[in-house]
Amino acid sequence: MKSPSMTGCERVSRMFARREQDRVPRCDSFWPETITRWQREGLAGDHHEVMRRLGADFQSLCWCWPAPFPGRREVLSQDAETETVRDAWGGVARFWKGRSGTPEHISFGCDSRAAWETTYRPAMLDAPLAANLSDARRCEAEGRALGRWTHLTGVEGFEALRRLIGDEACLVAMIEDPEWVRDIVDVHTDIVLRTFEALMAGGLEPEGLWIYGDMAYNHATMCSPAMYRDLVWPAHKRMAEWAHSRGQRVIYHTDGHVRQVLDLYVAAGFECLQPIEAKAGMDIREFAPAYGNRLAMFGNIDVMKMATNDLGLIEEEMRTKFAAGMATRGYAYHSDHSVPPQVSWDTYQAIIGFVERYGTY
Amino acid sequence: MPQLTDLTAAVAAGKRIDTVRITQELLAAGTGPQDIVERGLVPGMAIVGEQFKRNEIFVPEMLVAARAMKEALKLLEPLLASAGIRPKYTAIIGTVQGDLHDIGKNLISMMWRGANFAVIDLGTNVSPERYLAAAKEHNANLVGLSALLTTTMPAMKDTVRIIKAAGLTGTKIMIGGAPITQAFADEIGADGYAADAGTAVDIAKKLVGQAA
Repeated sequence: MKSPSMTGCERVSRMFARREQDRVPRCDSFWPETITRWQREGLAGDHHEVMRRLGADFQSLCWCWPAPFPGRREVLSQDAETETVRDAWGGVARFWKGRSGTPEHISFGCDSRAAWETTYRPAMLDAPLAANLSDARRCEAEGRALGRWTHLTGVEGFEALRRLIGDEACLVAMIEDPEWVRDIVDVHTDIVLRTFEALMAGGLEPEGLWIYGDMAYNHATMCSPAMYRDLVWPAHKRMAEWAHSRGQRVIYHTDGHVRQVLDLYVAAGFECLQPIEAKAGMDIREFAPAYGNRLAMFGNIDVMKMATNDLGLIEEEMRTKFAAGMATRGYAYHSDHSVPPQVSWDTYQAIIGFVERYGTY
Repeated sequence: MPQLTDLTAAVAAGKRIDTVRITQELLAAGTGPQDIVERGLVPGMAIVGEQFKRNEIFVPEMLVAARAMKEALKLLEPLLASAGIRPKYTAIIGTVQGDLHDIGKNLISMMWRGANFAVIDLGTNVSPERYLAAAKEHNANLVGLSALLTTTMPAMKDTVRIIKAAGLTGTKIMIGGAPITQAFADEIGADGYAADAGTAVDIAKKLVGQAA
């Protein structure tokens, strides 16, 4: 593997500016079970070691997801495999013990507009800062030492809305009580930006903002583009404007099929889309030529192809998608979600080799 | 007096209050509950499914339509039960073992109910043995397996294998979920795959031998 001629920070900054880079920026995500498998197969270390071998270029400084009751975690019941917990959002959910995966949401404490207005809204506004400054400073120092591109990380309003009142109530409210939806999204966004403001006032100088919010599934966005534009997009735009006014670049994370809303993302001020889920029908070979100059592409390498462990198939996937993304110099490597445990350690080492081979300018 | 077509339009538009009112008026005028379901409500949900497949409507609109139908069914189900009328087809649905995610399963469940299937929802983290036992107990025409995660796809394979091995010839198996493809369905021997909640109704009808 050649020695890099740029730091990760320079490389990512140049990707956003569509200027020359030595290679594409890199990052990835893994299910915990994947790391466990790889350790059995010879990986000496944990996911940090994998990221080191990959040559990761990004460093998060915080994870900001404001909750009405921070720190609350009351175990209501448990069995051999799962535990049922009342959490910081006031809901009850069943989680796996010692295993990854999404929880089963059993009930939501914020189950009406009245509950929001009398209990949850005031609690959110009164809650302490939704990120830890000393942790963020430590992460920033680590990122600087490694030459990485540093970023604040926060959850956006739609994801927060779903977490607080649940998918079904949230989606129905978008039709039946849109003002309630707007209010939750706005209050959440206010708190996130207030938190980031406090971190910046504490001396952090991140290069970017990475916004998380899954707003789609494998077929389409959860709500129509028009409904997104009306109810959620203004808050997205506000977050992007906040970042831009502080010289930061903006990455937006969403799973699912979001092809219909790419123009709205660009108009909101998002400058990079991640992880671009191939199994939801997203393919940068199709839309990078049209959007690549306005929206950097970060990811899209199909984990289902990785899971075959067929190196020929994986190499073709990576070769063609890297070529499509790199044509505008606006591409960074990431799997299209999280590398699953069907992928062997030998295969992932080969993938790192393909990243090097096809991701060098 | 309202017509069954008015009821169809009200359901398709997700107008819950109108749906309940029209249902009450049709009953008062002597329309049978089975006609109301089969010629009023089910066609409304069929419209919703078609619009959803074409991305003309999205999940919120589908949810409000399903809620409208559910409210109407609360009025009709006691009447149907007392007359000994029940849906022609029975479906079992659940999220496979190792997976606690449920919104996809819930949407499919709503749409199958909207197509007048009796739906038994086993919930999440359902073992292959529970699927099989439920399929036998309810003499199910259809078993639906949902998975969100790539990590839980192998559980689908195990479930399909166990149900097929039990020789339930009248039971078809259908799979779906974010990481699932037709190729995976073929690989594990599932009878059908649906990419979305609208298509799930068409596939379910085909599998149980009803014209889609």
